[in-house]
Amino acid sequence: MSCFFRWLSLTFCGFFPSVVFASEVSQIHETMAISSSLSFVALAIFAIAFVLIIFEPFEKSVIALMGGILMILTGVLTAQEAIAVIEFETILLLLGMMLLVHMASESGILSWLNVRIAEFTRGSPLAIFLLFSVITGVFSAFLDNVTTVILIVPLTIELLRGMGRDPKPYIFAEIIFSNIGGALTLVGDPPNIIIGGATGFSFLDFVLNLWIPISLTAVTFLAIMLFRKRKDFKSLSGSLIELHLAALLIEKIKHKFLKTTLHRGFVINVLIILSLTILGFFLQEVIHIPAFVMAFTGAVLLAIVSSRQIDIHHAFGSVEWSTLFFFAGLFIMVGAVEKTGILDVLSDWMVNSTDNLLYLALLILWISGIVSMILDNIPFVTVMIPVIFGIQTQMPGVDTEILWWSLSLGACLGGNGTLVGASANVVAGNLAQKHGVKVTFLEYTKFALPFTILSLVICSGYLYFVV
Amino acid sequence: MVNDVDRLSKLLRELEADTGTSSTCNTVLVTLQKAMDRLQVSDGEAFYAELCKLTQILSETKPQFGILKYYFKKLKADCHRVKEDEDWREKVHQALADLHENARSQRERLLQNATSIEVKNKTILIHDHSHTVHDVLIAFKRAHKKFNVIIAEQDVEKTNQNIEVLHAAEIPFQVIPDYMLSHIQANVDMVFFGGLTLKDSMNFVMDPGTYGVISQFQTMKIPVYMFMNTAKFSLWKSKPRGEIFFHAHKRSHHAKAIEYDRIKYSHDRVPANLFHKIITNKGPLTPTQLKKTFEVLYKAAA
Repeated sequence: MSCFFRWLSLTFCGFFPSVVFASEVSQIHETMAISSSLSFVALAIFAIAFVLIIFEPFEKSVIALMGGILMILTGVLTAQEAIAVIEFETILLLLGMMLLVHMASESGILSWLNVRIAEFTRGSPLAIFLLFSVITGVFSAFLDNVTTVILIVPLTIELLRGMGRDPKPYIFAEIIFSNIGGALTLVGDPPNIIIGGATGFSFLDFVLNLWIPISLTAVTFLAIMLFRKRKDFKSLSGSLIELHLAALLIEKIKHKFLKTTLHRGFVINVLIILSLTILGFFLQEVIHIPAFVMAFTGAVLLAIVSSRQIDIHHAFGSVEWSTLFFFAGLFIMVGAVEKTGILDVLSDWMVNSTDNLLYLALLILWISGIVSMILDNIPFVTVMIPVIFGIQTQMPGVDTEILWWSLSLGACLGGNGTLVGASANVVAGNLAQKHGVKVTFLEYTKFALPFTILSLVICSGYLYFVV
Repeated sequence: MVNDVDRLSKLLRELEADTGTSSTCNTVLVTLQKAMDRLQVSDGEAFYAELCKLTQILSETKPQFGILKYYFKKLKADCHRVKEDEDWREKVHQALADLHENARSQRERLLQNATSIEVKNKTILIHDHSHTVHDVLIAFKRAHKKFNVIIAEQDVEKTNQNIEVLHAAEIPFQVIPDYMLSHIQANVDMVFFGGLTLKDSMNFVMDPGTYGVISQFQTMKIPVYMFMNTAKFSLWKSKPRGEIFFHAHKRSHHAKAIEYDRIKYSHDRVPANLFHKIITNKGPLTPTQLKKTFEVLYKAAA
């Protein structure tokens, strides 16, 4: 089923623009820095790589790197140009956060916190739903959402299954909140890291501009779930059996998930350094230190002060190098496509179709939202960066910053729509399967798609009032 | 959805496998207290009705825990007496506290009876992760008795628990895989075990793998001791092998394309007459004395 949707989106996203732009390409290239034959080579490499990334016959980082290398070998870009177009700030921010989050996880504090929250719920289904969803959102905003679901989903399954309940609605809520939370901050989701790297928006810029639609989306989701599942959230306080079983279950979970004794010094170091790093993000504009420097400072400091507890080689090994190489290859490919001028054509077309900023913002929101539901949002966002820059150039004197927030909201929240819409969704689905909870593509889509569309409507409303 | 009996059975089995019988029973009492505090009922009658439902479910779990049946029977009797009182909650709290105290004092009596074993300069072998055995060893250590321990290595988690407890108590120990004990059996002076329960068939239900170890040392005429409170006895007519569960799953050979079934059993059943002495809260008993004691308790419980 996911293959079908991928083909459908490919047709929608690939065919229509190609027909519109094909006639423009040769005219444009009379004036561009590269010949039209090289432009076609660049577009062909990009298109083939894009299709391969969608269907993943092999690891997508290899596909992206191959695409990047081909751009150099075919002469579309020189090696120096290729290096220049790689957004190293973005890659280094990702790397720094990966190291920091891994080392923080090693302390056991995140698992400990999850178990304590489970204990606090005392087995109440309503408390489990609310607390675990919100915690997932908060963790995803400041750590990465894949790590968050890896920590929370197994515990959720253990808790709900032990209570004789279906864990799926809770897992789905956590998936949705991982994307909602991740959308709020610069470091919460890769699309935001890419946007922040390209535009120079600070951590606080993201929070101040996105907290309203994100909060509205979160509250709306909680309200809908509380209404739909109100029978499931009935209190246990009238049944000694249920209360006792819940209390026993929590004791069992404490024993299972808290096997390792927390090292006090290590935990203190983690808490202090994580807090300082997050504070540093908030004060980015005041202290004028790029986010990636702060992330690296936090990671290196933690590695030094907790050198006895941390195996640094293991920490380096835990970094998702494939993700970083995927970004690098993607930046080179998009840089090459940008050089062809096709993205300027796209920007022109968008600006010429309307000079209404609200319409442009809504167009970007909904296209990025729909694309993100089915495809990997990272290549899409990477392509849209120069397009939006192009639009901004075409609209001097107009405050077009809202277009970036539209892209961020669409790309991040759109990922909630299907089980393949975001990495956290895929990881959560696989984890659930591993723990004996089968989650199908259709099942999740039926649950999440209506809400995702509603969240895009909420964001549209926000844009309407802001523009 | 899974029913309450299955849920409770699974929880108790998993807790017992991870933490041992005594610890599981303690956890059940502690969590019952917490549940009681959160329960919203109109009066003592309503609470008694809820307790009866819980006791009924407990009586149907697989396996059945003799010690839990014993505790809940006492608690039910106490609650029945006070259910119409105004201060029924306080009285039930007190009844639970009395159960805890009862468990504690039974344990103390068992530890006192254990001191009848001479362990000075002896080598003691342990295999399962019985908390009762841990308490006995710690009691010996506190009484400044010099001895050392060999841990027969089995399931990783259980062995690690033994290691952690002995390390924390500063008891000198070595670890030897349980399939290599023939090399050191001549150096072992005595073997200590705990268990889940004693059935009316006069078989102890114990950790898997213990039957082999016990048989090995029994043939060498090395004394094998069991430590178990009489509260743990299953004082009812039991089904044969009712407490044994097995789990089968498919595995693949790590290097060749070979698939096979791997089957694990939850417990061993070990005849009581393989033990030199059974140390209980009622004193150290030989297997013959144990049988008589069991029969008396069985008749009283009927």
